[in-house]
Amino acid sequence: MLALDVSDLQMHFPGLAAPVLAIERFHLPAGGQLAITGASGSGKSTFVNAITGLENVTQGKISWNGMDITRLSSGRRDAFRARNIGLVMQDFHLFPGLSAFDNVVLPVRLARRLTVEERERALALLSATGINRVGQKIETLSRGEMQRVAVARALLQRPGVIVADEPTASLDRHAGNEVAELLLRLSAEQGTTLVVVTHDAFLAERLGRRICLESGRVDEDSGESAAQ
Amino acid sequence: MMKFIFADLRRFWSGALAVVVLIALSVALSVTVTLQERAVRLGSARAAEKFDLLVGAAGSETQLALSAVFLQPAPLPLMEGAVLGRLANDPRVELAAPVGFGDSAYGFPIVGTTTNLISALSPSLAQGAHFARLGEAVVGSDVALSPGAQIKPMHGTAEAGGETHTAIAYKVTGRMAPTGTAWDRAILVPIRAVWQLHGMHGEEHHDHESGEAQSHGAEPRDHSHEHEHGHLDADAPLDEHFDAQSPGVPAILVKPKTVADAYRLRQEYRTGATLGVFPAEVLTRLYATLGDARSLLLAIALGTQAIVIAAIVLVTIMHVGSRWRQIGALRALGTPVRSIIALVWGELFLLFVAGIASGVALGYAAASAISARLTASTAIRLPVDFAPDDLWLAIGFLAVAAFVSIVPALAALRSSPAAALRA
Ligand SMILES: Nc1ncnc2c1ncn2[C@@H]1O[C@H](COP(=O)(O)OP(=O)(O)OP(=O)(O)O)[C@@H](O)[C@H]1O
Ligand SMILES: [Mg+2]
Repeated sequence: MLALDVSDLQMHFPGLAAPVLAIERFHLPAGGQLAITGASGSGKSTFVNAITGLENVTQGKISWNGMDITRLSSGRRDAFRARNIGLVMQDFHLFPGLSAFDNVVLPVRLARRLTVEERERALALLSATGINRVGQKIETLSRGEMQRVAVARALLQRPGVIVADEPTASLDRHAGNEVAELLLRLSAEQGTTLVVVTHDAFLAERLGRRICLESGRVDEDSGESAAQ
Repeated sequence: MMKFIFADLRRFWSGALAVVVLIALSVALSVTVTLQERAVRLGSARAAEKFDLLVGAAGSETQLALSAVFLQPAPLPLMEGAVLGRLANDPRVELAAPVGFGDSAYGFPIVGTTTNLISALSPSLAQGAHFARLGEAVVGSDVALSPGAQIKPMHGTAEAGGETHTAIAYKVTGRMAPTGTAWDRAILVPIRAVWQLHGMHGEEHHDHESGEAQSHGAEPRDHSHEHEHGHLDADAPLDEHFDAQSPGVPAILVKPKTVADAYRLRQEYRTGATLGVFPAEVLTRLYATLGDARSLLLAIALGTQAIVIAAIVLVTIMHVGSRWRQIGALRALGTPVRSIIALVWGELFLLFVAGIASGVALGYAAASAISARLTASTAIRLPVDFAPDDLWLAIGFLAVAAFVSIVPALAALRSSPAAALRA
């Protein structure tokens, strides 16, 4: 399980004078569960893109268990993410034409051979997420099912942290609750650190710690005192 | 990996098909031009190879070569019979055979000649025996007549409104083996039969022999006078000795004993009323003219290739553009860069290879079909074959395709995954 340390992070985008994100100090212990809320445009996605290494960081440090990912080359950062971070995104990013099972194992297959153990884990995860027909083409699944497949994919390589950017935003209430439930249950089972960006107050409530961003700064932090 | 590529291709199958067809057509065009040009060049050179030296009456060299080698019906002037006698008895000559055109049967040209020439064309007959009487004939391998069949000669060609000779019906005695030349479509009869059928007897025709053009070709002429008088004895034995009194012939095929003899003979018979030509040389000159047409065709083919390469680049850019998000997602999921390059490059390269391969097959098929049609009408075998040079052409195509398809893959990796995902 990974602990997150952010220090002196500033994210700038061309054409914007003020930094989109400015976080002096932030710590999330290993196995912690964090909800990030805030108004649209407050920098939530920018924050998770930075901590997952999807966006290049030029100012500040982002460390997972002491490993500063801002110093890695983009190729090594991709490799780090593959090993340690499970991503769940708002629009799934599943690959049409492939079955649910093939989608879950695709990241592994594109990097190396799938082991028998991984194969079984993929099937177990799919059944844990309630997908029974694993050979079904992904584009024929419902949106709720698609996001559950994405959750299974994120968990396949036993990541130390799961980062989800609005995993339920494009789902209806019922499907959204199912996905939220699943994320919480599976990450708790594995003791995985969990970071979720969400507008869903109900989901946010159920996570151990909540921060609210405003104009790229941490405005409220429910767990600040606890963490210190 | 392959599963992913094929899933993607299935999703965009119509676009993929269009790319393959586009490339296939342009490759096919240049393959056809290249193969066909080579087939015509080699095929007609081979067809002319058996005819070392041609001697005819002064006139057009090209006409003489085309008429004698490819049996194109055309009015050729006659030369004195004495020329034949002189050549036949020349010690430097291995074989001198007269060629008399003029008649046809069932659309096949009837050629008056000697058994020596038949032996030279087809050392052993495929069927039957040589002609031994005036009223007998040997057919080329493509003439659909068996030994024993009757041939009613027709003056000129049927299309030109020729009339049927009534004085004789040839009896087929044999069939030549295939030679790959226009002579496979010929009906060969004794030259004396042709002379007699047209009422030509050495002494009577001094006026003709003095160079007056006598059409034995497509031009319909009134030969009724000769037909009336042209009676002949079909059972008369063969006489293949020629002397100064022989009637005139339009062309004589000569096989000199040595190369030096060939040049000397050609020089000797290029003076005055006769014309000596090497058919191969005439053909070479013709190809020089055809060569311009070929380079024009090849330029067109190159032009289409340039267009296709442009299309390939466009397709590639669109291909990658539409996959920007996909590539971003793959990177977000931690796919190694080499795998992403392999995916993008592999998919495009697969399309290009499919296009190039089917283009080569299509071009080969087209060239074969054209050759087959030409062979059917001329009997000249036109070999459609790949040469080592073609391999380099194919390798060149593949290299361009490989290079063009790797560029977008690299371009896709320059931005951060987050930026790619936003696209
Ligand atoms: N590539 C970019 N170039 C310029 N500005 C950007 C870029 N990406 C984000 N921004 C700006 O940064 C700010 C924060 O964006 P971000 O996507 O992090 O917001 P968010 O909190 O995720 O919003 P939402 O809830 O709508 O997803 C926005 O004002 C946005 O316009
Ligand atoms: Mg966002």
